[in-house]
Amino acid sequence: MTSTTVTTFYGAVNDGAFWHWPTLLHFCLVALAGGVALLVAYRALTSPRLGWRLPALSVGLIALDMIVLWAESLARWRLTHVYLFLSIRPASAIWWGAWGLAGSAVLGLLLASGWGPRRLWGALLAVTSTMALLYPGLALAANSARPLWTPLLLAFMPVTGLLLAWGSALLFRQNDLRPAVGALALLGGLLGGLYLVGLATGDLAAREGLHHLWIEGGPWFVTALAAMLLAPTLLRRYPAAAGLLVVAGAVLARTLLVEIGAYMPPVL
Amino acid sequence: MPRYAMAIDLSACVGCAACAVACKLENEVPPGVSRLWIRLEESGTFPDLSLQYRPEQCMQCADPPCVPVCPTGASHVTDDGVVLVEAETCIACGACIAACPYGARYFDERGFVGKCTFCEHRLAQGRVPACVETCPTLCRSFGDLDDPDSDVSRAIRGARRVDVLKPEQGTHPKLVYLNAPARFGLSREGVAR
Repeated sequence: MTSTTVTTFYGAVNDGAFWHWPTLLHFCLVALAGGVALLVAYRALTSPRLGWRLPALSVGLIALDMIVLWAESLARWRLTHVYLFLSIRPASAIWWGAWGLAGSAVLGLLLASGWGPRRLWGALLAVTSTMALLYPGLALAANSARPLWTPLLLAFMPVTGLLLAWGSALLFRQNDLRPAVGALALLGGLLGGLYLVGLATGDLAAREGLHHLWIEGGPWFVTALAAMLLAPTLLRRYPAAAGLLVVAGAVLARTLLVEIGAYMPPVL
Repeated sequence: MPRYAMAIDLSACVGCAACAVACKLENEVPPGVSRLWIRLEESGTFPDLSLQYRPEQCMQCADPPCVPVCPTGASHVTDDGVVLVEAETCIACGACIAACPYGARYFDERGFVGKCTFCEHRLAQGRVPACVETCPTLCRSFGDLDDPDSDVSRAIRGARRVDVLKPEQGTHPKLVYLNAPARFGLSREGVAR
């Protein structure tokens, strides 16, 4: 008979999921908004003509993301979100994300209006949209007590964010993005594989985290990585199908990492 | 300024949960969440069994990971070393909940993040936290860590063994456990044995 440990509680230990589906939606919307804003920046810097539709779309996506964030917040009627912009907190990933999205919205509006120096707005938008793309990975990787939120997410989250946005663009025949999407899809699949290997060869907490990930949604995570790796083979003949695959893979991987990744090993 | 800390003598705790009830009442903690809970851990195989009670709450870390991740500065450390959340500026984003290695924070339905405050309102009146005052076995000691004559300093000095939870996280908790069962201790390796 093996030794066992049975743990019960008087009172509620706060170790359950704390970010629910609206937050998962935000983690996808912020990628879409940031990725489209970066595309706008790229077009503003390289194309002779930008038009107003794409910048307006990026502003619309940011607005949608902001509405989701506001609606899901328990503090939505207290208007405390204004303190995001009244404080300087560079150690906080969310602070960077807030400024990245706000800056991208303003610059997107300027580009949509056609007013002012387009290239300067484009260069600034490249910075702010990159901030918005980077912040989810930063926000997760900062939590060292949660073994599934490893530093590798600093790379994996922006890559899947770009895949989500630029894969969606393929659905709208932005076919000049095919080489970039192909490279990002391969990079995403490889980083995802490296993430799993890192967990498998990590310390006890990492291995427990991997076990938890596998039980809760491991096959889905592997499916997401497979979708990313398969997409480049379809890019030349079926760009829309490839776009759909990378979007599905990116959404799946991101939501699984946020939801299941909140796992924390038990305190013993 | 004092540097407040708490010590819990596990050899004296009987798991009565009076501290958890006192905390709930004193701080009007909403249903379904707790600032303080009791872990009951049974381990071993008959006849070699162990039962351990361990009250858990915010560890009032000297290096709290929950503070730098806060985007508005609502999570902060007071001059006397107590980690608090200023409800007025909290946006309830959950970053601090994610960062806490001890599961000590929760969403308060009133729109902010809640946690143990060492009963700061009582400290301001020169009283000890409600959990300390309520404990019938006097297993909790509280006071200024920098004062050698404080209850907590004397309790730590007199203990056979002093542990903190998750030392590998480098948070340097100011809530310490005294006299944990020597056979198991508080380390994961110890329990596995």
